[in-house]
Amino acid sequence: MIAYIFKRLLGVLPTLLIVAVLVFFFVHLLPGDPARLAAGAEADEQTVELVRRDLGLDQPMHKQFMRFIGGVLQGDFGHSIRTKRPVIDEIADRFPYTLKLTLAAMGWSVVIGLAIGIVAAVNRNRWPDRLGMALAVSGISFPSFALGLLLITVFAVGLGWLPTVGAESWRHYILPSLTLGAGVAAVMARFTRASFVEVLHEDYIRTARAKGVPERQVVLKHALRNALIPVVTMMGLQFGFLLGGSIVVEKVFNWPGLGRLLVDAVEMRDYPVIQAEVLLFSMQFILINLVVDVLYGVINPTIRYK
Amino acid sequence: MKLAFARRTLLALALTCVAAPAFAQGKTAVFAIENTLASLDPYDTNITLDLSVCKSFYQGLYSFDKDLKVVPELALSHEVSKDGLAYTFKLRRGAKFHDGSDFNAAAVKVVFDRVTNPENKLKRFNLFSNIDSTTVVDDATVRVKLKRPFSAFINQLAHPSAVMISPAALAKHGKQIGLNPVGTGPFKFVEWKQPDYVRVARNDKYWKPGLPKIDGIVWRPVTDSNTRTAMLQAGEAHFTAPVPFEQAENLAKNPKLDMISGPGIFAQYLSMNTRVKPFDDVRVRHAINYAINKPALAKVVYSGFATPAEGPVPMGVDFATQVGRYDHNPAKARELLKAAGYPTGFATELWASNNSTAQKATQFLQQQLAQVGIKVRITLLETGQRVQQLENVQNPAEAGVRLYFAGWSSSTGEADWALRPLFATEAQPPRLQNFAYYSNPALDDLLQQALNTSDRDAKASAYRSAQELVHKDAPWAFLVTRKVAYAKAKGLTGIYQMPDNSFQFENVELQP
Repeated sequence: MIAYIFKRLLGVLPTLLIVAVLVFFFVHLLPGDPARLAAGAEADEQTVELVRRDLGLDQPMHKQFMRFIGGVLQGDFGHSIRTKRPVIDEIADRFPYTLKLTLAAMGWSVVIGLAIGIVAAVNRNRWPDRLGMALAVSGISFPSFALGLLLITVFAVGLGWLPTVGAESWRHYILPSLTLGAGVAAVMARFTRASFVEVLHEDYIRTARAKGVPERQVVLKHALRNALIPVVTMMGLQFGFLLGGSIVVEKVFNWPGLGRLLVDAVEMRDYPVIQAEVLLFSMQFILINLVVDVLYGVINPTIRYK
Repeated sequence: MKLAFARRTLLALALTCVAAPAFAQGKTAVFAIENTLASLDPYDTNITLDLSVCKSFYQGLYSFDKDLKVVPELALSHEVSKDGLAYTFKLRRGAKFHDGSDFNAAAVKVVFDRVTNPENKLKRFNLFSNIDSTTVVDDATVRVKLKRPFSAFINQLAHPSAVMISPAALAKHGKQIGLNPVGTGPFKFVEWKQPDYVRVARNDKYWKPGLPKIDGIVWRPVTDSNTRTAMLQAGEAHFTAPVPFEQAENLAKNPKLDMISGPGIFAQYLSMNTRVKPFDDVRVRHAINYAINKPALAKVVYSGFATPAEGPVPMGVDFATQVGRYDHNPAKARELLKAAGYPTGFATELWASNNSTAQKATQFLQQQLAQVGIKVRITLLETGQRVQQLENVQNPAEAGVRLYFAGWSSSTGEADWALRPLFATEAQPPRLQNFAYYSNPALDDLLQQALNTSDRDAKASAYRSAQELVHKDAPWAFLVTRKVAYAKAKGLTGIYQMPDNSFQFENVELQP
């Protein structure tokens, strides 16, 4: 198992290098001149040239590329064009907030989603199923910016129980994590239900029931483990997406996370920040996939990777 | 480095779990602003909002009062030599920087020498490129020599980027001065927690006695306008600007809040590429001016927070002249088009930035122009695209722009910066923003004349003629001037949003 994980981790490096090369050329091919954008509307041509030299954008493309790759290999992602701060600081400032909000949202939504899914599957076509799935469909179809604003209007402006924006205390996490998690909980509920319904028709469930295992144990032990495989896959994907920073939720709740950083960076053609963020996101996805693969083995030893 | 990153992340995690800075301690006012800040070095940013925040801790030799009149701040008076080239300033004594060092003539020299040196590659280089040299005469007297006469120089010094930075801090922090600002202003810089807030605290040794009257300010960037107004309603912010027009009515009804709107100097215009057919014909340009119902535009798109333009330069800018309007008259527009050889109109392109106001405005303009037979195709440009297709076009003959909907505000509050960057021949892209590719030697002469003389009457007359000329030639359809709109808690007094969108808050007071 350890050797397997180690091998997979080594495999990450070439993937990241390919991503780095692709993202470099991709952002440099975007239309728009970062020097002009950074210099602003009131700058004349001479000032734009000064800014261009300051940012190192006057160098030929291959030199810029060598500088970028050389920096990445040493863990140096350069300085932001917009703020001139080291990119690593810009990301380090925001990453914890995105991570914590993602964990808070994933935490409750996975538990609730699983519970709703199981209850719905066990009581298929009866009222708990109908109610659970109605909730899930509303969770998926309610746009998150609307849900966020609704929550702010009711709980912050109307009742005054919770703060509107900021990320200082646990109370600040409630509304954004509800908004962010609603969609995830809904997806989890539907996935769990579908997977569970299928598993409940398997022969081994019939066998378990036939030999007199209590229904409660049939559901939680025999069925749950086997139903979890697709659910864990989905969970990993959702986790990866949320870690990229939800642009909408971060905007509505003014959350100081990675999503807003990326939007600002794209708007200003802030090459170094875009490159570093894309690299970070790919790395997160690769690692999450690895964790999901390892979890498969834990849940079902018969599909352990060799 | 990777390890350091991980460690820092962990540290940040640990810190944020423990520390929870409370915002409304003592008399600290929270101002919710619309964008994240890029830099706190006024010489290395061109964003009005950055400059407004910098006004908490920085001051210039001159500044604007709330009606955009120039008043002395760290300077006491000035004298201009006969040739208009040398400006001698008497400086205020007793003003101190926050690091304890004295403000004096040497500081002025250090600050101006820094921005005029191209090696420092500062974004405000062009605003100060007219300075030839700065000399210290004595401790409280400084002389600035210009490369050519520039009569708007005092206005230029009142610009919020022309502020005094502590030379000691500049020596210590170098390029990092934007993260460690040290000025003479009413508040001291405390911390900039990106992207969450900038916190400033009262400067106890401020040179104006009795000020400031509150303990500090927290500048909080909140990009979503609905969220900003929600913060104000929930009492988490005391002031917010700009207020989205759609919400103004709702906020005005709130008994705990004041909704205020005042005159602005932000001109909204439609430029026409005068180099190409059919816009090379002044009759076509007049027709377009007559075809647009400006009061309706102000009402429909800006919910009344705008007034029809009275000429190329908005009222409130120094030397602005009320030169007249092209009142809505579709019949006359059709006549002019017919005379110009377009009896059935023509088809053309309209560009604008991609935001919701521009979207609404361009649709409105499209409908208005359709009524006189001009078929308009709208393209909304993303910023990078705009730079590529508009601002960075090297050869005027290759410019693809036809009609362009945009806005401009004269950041020096003076007619020069409201006319030259937009209408002078030298201001065509890629240099500045003459997207109409308008070129009229008579106008170029008038603008130069006005800059060469420091006699106020002569300047006023040159600028009046210049504005009349632009109005007559109509390289733009002159649309509306936007008003400023802001909201604040009733307990907060002494704060204004000025016509140029910056804030005045030195006298701000806060009652619970």
